[in-house]
Amino acid sequence: MVNYTRHPSSFKDPAGFVFESGGKVYRQVNQYYASQYQQLMSSGLYDALVKKGQLIPHQQLHQNLTQSPEWYSTLLPEPVEYISYPYEWCFEQLRDAALLTLNIVRTAIQHGMILKDATPFNIQFYKGKPVFIDTLSFDLYNPKQPWIAYRQFCQSFLFPLYLEHYLKTDIQKILSSYIDGVPVDFIARLLPLKSRLSLGVWLHVYLQQTAAGSQKQGKAAETRFSRKKLLDLVSHLTNIIQHFPAERIYNSTWSNYYEDSILSQEYLREKETIVRKFCAVTNAKSVLDLGANDGHFSKVFAAYNMQVVATDADSRCIARLYQEVKKNNITNILPLILDIANRSPAIGFNNRERAAFHERIQTNMVAALALIHHLVIGRNISLPALAEYFSQIAPELIIEFVPKEDEKVQQMLANRPDTFPDYTATTFEACFEQYFNIAGKQLISGTSRMLYHMKRKDAA
Amino acid sequence: MHHFLLYIDPGSGSYLVQVIIAAILGALFYFKNIWWKIRAFFFRPKKEDPEGEDSVNG
Repeated sequence: MVNYTRHPSSFKDPAGFVFESGGKVYRQVNQYYASQYQQLMSSGLYDALVKKGQLIPHQQLHQNLTQSPEWYSTLLPEPVEYISYPYEWCFEQLRDAALLTLNIVRTAIQHGMILKDATPFNIQFYKGKPVFIDTLSFDLYNPKQPWIAYRQFCQSFLFPLYLEHYLKTDIQKILSSYIDGVPVDFIARLLPLKSRLSLGVWLHVYLQQTAAGSQKQGKAAETRFSRKKLLDLVSHLTNIIQHFPAERIYNSTWSNYYEDSILSQEYLREKETIVRKFCAVTNAKSVLDLGANDGHFSKVFAAYNMQVVATDADSRCIARLYQEVKKNNITNILPLILDIANRSPAIGFNNRERAAFHERIQTNMVAALALIHHLVIGRNISLPALAEYFSQIAPELIIEFVPKEDEKVQQMLANRPDTFPDYTATTFEACFEQYFNIAGKQLISGTSRMLYHMKRKDAA
Repeated sequence: MHHFLLYIDPGSGSYLVQVIIAAILGALFYFKNIWWKIRAFFFRPKKEDPEGEDSVNG
């Protein structure tokens, strides 16, 4: 018998489960799901979706690796290295994931199948595009029945999009609190009055809220539904979501950071030259860019063929980068929203269903450019604590130290007492040298900022 | 032959609401279609109906 570990999030669906064995991730199909799986493969649905790049391709193995009596087949899907969750996606990413889900429903119906669930956790951003990863989500389609996953779709796609659209503010933190999506009661109370003028809101939010209170269910509904009705419903949802403004602009703190900075052009050029120098000598194949802003340096790393996870706490920066990744078909940058001082936690059943950020996303290198002063002075995180944190996540590190005399730091200190006597380059180096060896160090000319290339002591 | 895997709860009232929504959408699309026919009769059609219309006929 082969050793395997069942994935902690894979407990809901009796159709099968995901497990890991020998460093590979497999999906077991149970007997229970045999006829649905056969339909998926023989109807041409699998081929159609894989051809469009909408479903993750898999290899079918005829080996019962788990020795389980319910075994029907084992799938080896193409591995997706970086798993991200909806509370790390910007509006545009969630919207594209929603449209992909509806698109798949439509294709599935043509092949006699339907999605039996509709959660963003079934979608990953892979090679720059959303792709559906849950091969066992397809069920046989009964035209007499409404869509079983309709409520789930609304809660986890439509409602969050509505919230962000009408409230014009980030809603990612709300999504990490509601693992099964935003409840209808909650959103109905939050949406502004003017939202009632929208037919979509009226039907999918308020009408649904009223109906949710009713106990009448099932039987009568079954006889009155049809394929055309379902297609109308799916089209309506698609229309609503497609017509959210393509580029949602509201000013945020960071979205014009580089444009606003006077020294930007020259400073950026100098900094890029040094970063490129560091990139030329590293063997790192992947990098986590923290505080990526508009992704200027993420693109530099990507040009060195590294797999880049670009993160920023500002959703507008990430949105802008995502649009660019999409437009230019950049396959090795994954933009994600992340607040380093309050990262995505582990959530769900037993706190193991959805892993915390760094458990999912591990890279050979971490980049922290023009970041450290925000954490120390903006968030009161001490240099020793930061050095320890970086030592846990970064075998290799490119980090910029922005000293107190820097214009930006002076701005941060303008309205508060300076309680950071230890915030100096000497302390910074001493703290980081506890865990790292400094492999390269260079002043960005024209500024007092210093760039470091460090390697963790154990990484040799 | 159809045994549905009801592992997620469709939610109380969610089937009912879909029946109602589908009926409303059906009616809307029906009138919209008539409207387009009237328009086409009086005006030379400039362009095909915008996206989403395909579902009305299909």
